Amino acid sequence: MTVPLMFPRARIPYGTWGSSYFPAWQTSALAEVNIGQFAGEAMNRILGMRGVRRSALDYLVIGSTIPWRWKFWNAPLVSACMGSRIPGCHVEQACATGLQAINVAANEVNWGSNDVVGVLTFDRTSDSPVGVFPERRAYERTQALADVWDNFGFDPATGGAMIACAGNGARKYKIDRREVDEITLYRYEQYFAAKESGFLDRVLVPLDILNVAGRFLGRIDDDLGVRKLDAATLAGMYELDTCVTGGSQTHASDGMACLLVTTEEKAKELSPRPEIEISFVGKTDIRTSPGLMPEAPHMAVRKLLGIVGMKLEDIAVLKNHNPFAVNDAVFAKEMDYDWRKMNNAGCPLVWGHPQGPTLTRVTIEALEEAVDLGGGYVLIFGCAAGDVGIAGLFKVSEGGK
Amino acid sequence: MASTMRQPTLETLGLGSVLDIFRNGRLPATAESLVEEVFGPGNDRGSLVISGANGIVGAGKVMQLGSRLMPHGVRMVALDFPSAPDGIGAKYPGLVAAFGQANADAIMGNTVRMTYDGKHLPAELSSMKPRFLLEAIPEILDVKRAHYQLFNEAFPGIEIRSVTSGFPAKELGVGIAHPAFPHEINKIWETVEPGSGAIAKLLWATGLIPIPVGDAWSFILDVLFCGVTHAALMYHDDTNMPVWKIDKYVRKLIGPNPTRAHDAIGAAGANFLTWSCLHHLSETYGPLFKPTPSLEEKKATGQNWYPLNHFRPLVDWRLEGDESAKFSTYILGALFQMTSLMLSEDRGHLTHMNGIGELCAQFRSGILAVIRKAGADTVVNIVEDFHRHRPDVAGGAWYPEVFEKIGDPSWQQLYVNAEHDGTVGVITMARESYNHDVDAELNRAIDWLKAEGVLRVILTGDFHLSTQMVGADTSEFYPALEDAAAGMAVAGPWTRTARRLNDEFDISVGYLQGKRALGGMLELLLHCHYVVSHEGATFGFPEVTLPVVPGMEGCHWPFRKAKAEDRSRVLHMLLTGRMVKAADAVGWLIDFAGPAETAIAKAYAVASGGDHGLVRRELETGAMDGIPDVAGLPPAGSPGSEAARKAILDSVKASCGATLAEAAEIQARHSSEFMTSSFCRKGAIGTEYTKTMLI
Repeated sequence: MTVPLMFPRARIPYGTWGSSYFPAWQTSALAEVNIGQFAGEAMNRILGMRGVRRSALDYLVIGSTIPWRWKFWNAPLVSACMGSRIPGCHVEQACATGLQAINVAANEVNWGSNDVVGVLTFDRTSDSPVGVFPERRAYERTQALADVWDNFGFDPATGGAMIACAGNGARKYKIDRREVDEITLYRYEQYFAAKESGFLDRVLVPLDILNVAGRFLGRIDDDLGVRKLDAATLAGMYELDTCVTGGSQTHASDGMACLLVTTEEKAKELSPRPEIEISFVGKTDIRTSPGLMPEAPHMAVRKLLGIVGMKLEDIAVLKNHNPFAVNDAVFAKEMDYDWRKMNNAGCPLVWGHPQGPTLTRVTIEALEEAVDLGGGYVLIFGCAAGDVGIAGLFKVSEGGK
Repeated sequence: MASTMRQPTLETLGLGSVLDIFRNGRLPATAESLVEEVFGPGNDRGSLVISGANGIVGAGKVMQLGSRLMPHGVRMVALDFPSAPDGIGAKYPGLVAAFGQANADAIMGNTVRMTYDGKHLPAELSSMKPRFLLEAIPEILDVKRAHYQLFNEAFPGIEIRSVTSGFPAKELGVGIAHPAFPHEINKIWETVEPGSGAIAKLLWATGLIPIPVGDAWSFILDVLFCGVTHAALMYHDDTNMPVWKIDKYVRKLIGPNPTRAHDAIGAAGANFLTWSCLHHLSETYGPLFKPTPSLEEKKATGQNWYPLNHFRPLVDWRLEGDESAKFSTYILGALFQMTSLMLSEDRGHLTHMNGIGELCAQFRSGILAVIRKAGADTVVNIVEDFHRHRPDVAGGAWYPEVFEKIGDPSWQQLYVNAEHDGTVGVITMARESYNHDVDAELNRAIDWLKAEGVLRVILTGDFHLSTQMVGADTSEFYPALEDAAAGMAVAGPWTRTARRLNDEFDISVGYLQGKRALGGMLELLLHCHYVVSHEGATFGFPEVTLPVVPGMEGCHWPFRKAKAEDRSRVLHMLLTGRMVKAADAVGWLIDFAGPAETAIAKAYAVASGGDHGLVRRELETGAMDGIPDVAGLPPAGSPGSEAARKAILDSVKASCGATLAEAAEIQARHSSEFMTSSFCRKGAIGTEYTKTMLI
């Protein structure tokens, strides 16, 4: 099957990527850092470990959703923290940020503007900054907004909370709580199986954090906050909304994830396995009805498959950004797909939700999984704030196959 | 007929040998005679002009030379552009701190500050009778040459030296006096001297350290310092490791932290100088020296290497797996290759080439000592491995054959030399602190003298690189902080070496010419049958303040040579760390103190068996009792010093209470056991060890 490529000139060089672990919010040294600086320094470290000189980069696309100190200075500042002075831009679309940033980078390469583009996504949900907004039309005159929690709790377009979307979706699609718990339990088993197999070691990089005096502050070497669950515990959890419990929804976390996008020639030069080729097939977005975010992913996937003329059976690896297990249940039901066949090496439901880097880590894990399978199409999809769905399709081939 | 193991370094200045000094009973040159030679007689004394006097180098040298030449009636003229920022004023507080308000004011009162436009000298300058121009203007060849022409036309016959760090004398047309940072206090000057060498001798006679170097692009210090910076930056550019972390690993590996040094000196100027040095070297010697992209950027921007304060590093880097080996290969490979070039060009006396790195570029061991320890085959392998990582630098400036001479005395005696006249031998130490290299070389020197049949010896500094004897090199104790056996492995052999001075010569004389003898170096000197000193010197056992316990027999040897009533003085020294002036130490710690030439003559008279009038203090070899308690000591000042006082007292009592034969092992054990204590780990050596080695 030959499918035209969305960005024929762009490739992701295998094995030049990496992600920090995603410790849950307030559990690690990442709660105490300027996350933009951390991300820049961490990407430099990851590139060094992957044998890529930072001087190889021409451009940097950063993606984050939570304001950080000096964010005005944007990608150029983050690249300075990498030890490099390259131009760049900032991309932001809630939990879709990672996939959007990757595609912006691919567009840069495809158009020929830059040959090697870094994608660096990050967020710190810990100690979310508070914005102070003059609002002359509000009776308070001035309003303060805690960026993470106030936004999670209130969609200004609908007046509802994020979690309410999950409940709405569960009710609309008549999702059963037992199935949601079953999915949740299976997702945890997938994650711990991947962790124990060493799969995650190819994606996640332990990083030591220093305090202001240059002394050791903490080691980021685990997705802190992720604990094994059992069926009884899940079943006993209080339902926050229909089919949604503390166990079947994600948690806030901190972290970064990065990869490179470059030309076919450069990808061969930079990758430790030049025989592996990763190309961009397509990407799309949709928006669904107010408060029905869980259905947006399958709609985006359906639209994308229609554009490229493919079926789910053609896909080797499916990975869903699933802040709620309900999302997987809705996707499986609507697409008539066995949810056991997706999210094989873990997913945001389990390892957390730092927003900006979430879909980047999802993508890296999915591409690694496809390489293990000897290649194939990789479908990344998920929901984002505002009842948005996004889906992207990649092709992984080895030795031209 | 005099013999020497290798060439004395003083000879490179035309000042003869250390043996000559003792045989002649005087120093080979005096400041007064050289001032007269350079600046004219007292009734017609000229001045020293420093151009570019407000720059980092110029301002520092106004202070350093001003303080040394003022007593001889030499006026200083500080010349610069009217727009130059006041660099001299910025250094003035340091001058006050060093010399006191009155002296500082006198030095500045002797300095005339003038401005000019760079093309016309001020008319008033001729009234100052300039006889010596020290040029410290920017590193631009044409500008420098025009500057010399200006002075030569105005003041024919004037001595001119450039402080340039890169241009050879043959390009400039004048001699070189290249000083090392920090300029107000560092005594080292690399010199290329035309004619009689009067300027270099003048520097020596005023207490500075001129080092003759070959007239090639960039001098030894800059090849080493810019070279280690360059090696670090090559690694930085190739692996992404941030410079701040590379600095830490370079410091752990060999001593310097090169990019921090650039920031400390002043990044804008230092970056340019390093770039200029490497650029000119690369034009002459090829890509080994080609400035890296990161240096090109820093040269252009003048920015610091280290992150700004609000971006202090967050993500640590560690060398893992084979990264350590690769790192060492980059740093050492580049330095070894550069050193092979300097050796192939015979750029200097090997002791100088080795010592410059230690004295001016923070090397824990000089580069030649590092090479010697590694051995020729290993060195060649490391450079070849470096070339596998960086094939671009393999094409030139690599002379592996120079390492075939490592067995020669010039390589084997980098720090310690021995000379003799058939009767008296002189062992000279060119290193101010005692380490394993000095120990090994001292043993070879003793062996050589004995093989030559010389059993009368003077142990002293080299009257050149070593201006004091500061004690043991504390970095030698790092392994001992973890393991008492490692401490024994230091204290034991060093003690045995020291005892050879007592046991294996008919007469041994420790002679101190410099400012002070402390700690391990004092312990070494005290093993000589006699100790003779310049009257201005001081002696001390600062171990208690570090805190450590003396391990080269300081806890019993001086007691065995002191009268019973004087032993409390020795104990007081050990327990307080306080210094004793030479004149006050005569009779119980040393044997004679006097003016330099008197003391020199006395030392030779003692060694040669002449009429000296000193009575040899006998060494008590049996177990001693009656070691006094010292009452009324000042507060120790810290728990560490308090603990060290107790440990030193325990060591004194145990080792004095034993026979001489038993005491060596006892005191070494006390010393090494205390080294592993938490007090030592938290003290100066432990802190330095943690900072340097545990990164």
